[in-house]
Amino acid sequence: MAERNLTYEDLVQIVELIRTTSQFSEFRLKVGDIEVSLKRANGAARPVVQEGAAAERSPEQAPVERKAVSVSENLHAVRSPMVGTFYRSPMPGQPPFVEIGQAVEPDTVLCIIEVMKLMNSIEAGVRGTVREIFVANGMAVDAGEVLMAIEPRA
Amino acid sequence: MKRFDFVDVTLRDAHQCLWSTRMTTAMMTPILSEIDRAGYAVINILGGAVFDVCVRYLHENPWDRVRLLCERLATPCDALTRGQSLYTFELFPDDVVALNAQLLARLGVKVFTVYDALNDNRNLESSVKAGREAGMKINGWMTYTLSPVHTDAYYVERTRELLALGSDYLCIKDPTGLLTPERGATLFPAVVKAAGGVPVQLHSHCQSGLAPKVYETAIRSGFSAGYTASEPLANGASLPATEEINAIARKLGFQTSLNEDSLREISGYFRWLCLREDKPCGKVAQYDPALYEHQIPGGMISNLHYQLETMKLGQRLPEILEEIARVRKDLGYPIVVSPFAQYLVTQATINVVQGERYKTIPDEIRKYARGYYGKVAAPLSEEFLERAKILPSEMVHERPGEHIEPWLPRLRRELGPGAGDGDLLLAAFYDRALLEPLRKPRPEYRFKTSPLHELVAWLGARRDIEHARIRFGGTDMTFSA
Repeated sequence: MAERNLTYEDLVQIVELIRTTSQFSEFRLKVGDIEVSLKRANGAARPVVQEGAAAERSPEQAPVERKAVSVSENLHAVRSPMVGTFYRSPMPGQPPFVEIGQAVEPDTVLCIIEVMKLMNSIEAGVRGTVREIFVANGMAVDAGEVLMAIEPRA
Repeated sequence: MKRFDFVDVTLRDAHQCLWSTRMTTAMMTPILSEIDRAGYAVINILGGAVFDVCVRYLHENPWDRVRLLCERLATPCDALTRGQSLYTFELFPDDVVALNAQLLARLGVKVFTVYDALNDNRNLESSVKAGREAGMKINGWMTYTLSPVHTDAYYVERTRELLALGSDYLCIKDPTGLLTPERGATLFPAVVKAAGGVPVQLHSHCQSGLAPKVYETAIRSGFSAGYTASEPLANGASLPATEEINAIARKLGFQTSLNEDSLREISGYFRWLCLREDKPCGKVAQYDPALYEHQIPGGMISNLHYQLETMKLGQRLPEILEEIARVRKDLGYPIVVSPFAQYLVTQATINVVQGERYKTIPDEIRKYARGYYGKVAAPLSEEFLERAKILPSEMVHERPGEHIEPWLPRLRRELGPGAGDGDLLLAAFYDRALLEPLRKPRPEYRFKTSPLHELVAWLGARRDIEHARIRFGGTDMTFSA
């Protein structure tokens, strides 16, 4: 065959072969008029360094183990409807929806639970006073996990 | 001889579908001149996910990419924006939408593609007006879906609206590959007829495996062009292969302007890129009738399954898929695309987990139901409206852009006189902290490459190789560490 250029098909074939033989210290390939020979450092069995952009991964939001929260009988427990992320304020940097000691109405928004990037406003459900907030801003919560306790008021 | 044209999506939708949009500018530049020679009518370079991934993950300034690609490509470049939301899911005021169109035109974009995920074409008005004034051709898309209300007559109506807006081209976009040759046989001629000579194009994905046949139907029905991708980045969740649709068009007796040598060089490069970057090539999807029931794109199902697994709910996937179809009906048949696909999946998951429908309704879904994002396709179910407690006074009837005050005066004050239009827009779209990494210096881009060059660079980057010798033809090269 006359002189020719290496093609992308040749390249793909050569690199696939080199990758699948990384446990060997020497590699020699001759296909048609193409010859590639390699020597690997330190014998072999070295993990192959994969080039290319390192895949960026958002931190896994595994639900964290947390102590069971007990809410005394005279308090109303506000629970998370879903596995999600708990936020105390409408936007980063803004003041929280409510603080401990604050009076709330049934439709007062207490916090947001983010589920699959959608925001769910959680309302108090009763008239009363916020007595406890059990979860820190930005924490993962489980379905049914108690978020806050409200002392109801007639 | 009749002709059929091609719009390339390899640099945009193809890697959005197959590589989670992770193709960097540096991966594109070596093959640009070959893509330019291939004979495409238009090259699509920008869309919502490309813009967003540039900023959030690749830490590239998307305006720099647009400018560079437009400079390097003589073929007209196309940029795609989604209604009044442009690149994200938020609604932006008219002044931001207009400035975006002006900037794209200044960076060299020639074709400005607009669509709205609700097909509420009032959401395109600001973009189209500003885009046309800035000298770009307007390409109006309508989004295809399956439902009792998305009939041929519905799409003829959307065609008329897009023409009234002044579209230079029209396109049927089928984001989940739901079109069949049978539906195309009635829908396509109806739209071509309503278009009255304005060119109609097809943009359909390959999830059902039927796309090449659907393109054939479109070509026969008088469509002017189709969107396609270079073969290694075609098929599966992506669009059909340029090579395949080109062969179909030629077999039907249509002339195309594609250069097969260029296409071969381009597909060789991308096949190599898949290997080098450890990214998947597209695989032809098997026909899957379940797709027509839930309509959730394959990529999203695997993502949903993964999310459910982390919540220890993996075994409830079939139940959730069934609930998605029910929620979609209750919500007036939104098209299963971003962001509404997310709404359906999340609401259905909440319904299943709580064991009660609509006990919790995400805020965004309430806004959607109020008409905040635009007109919904069909009336919402009584059950949903009752649970959502939306008062008639809360319903929104005006064009969504009208309920947002201008932002530019505030942004100009905040950023100071030195801020360019690109800076103002990025500040409108993103938190400042997200923009910080975009200041990093641009890498040196290579504008040509060859298989030999790639082999040498690849071997050179491997720390385990201490000696290499390559011989072919009259070349003999040796490298030693």
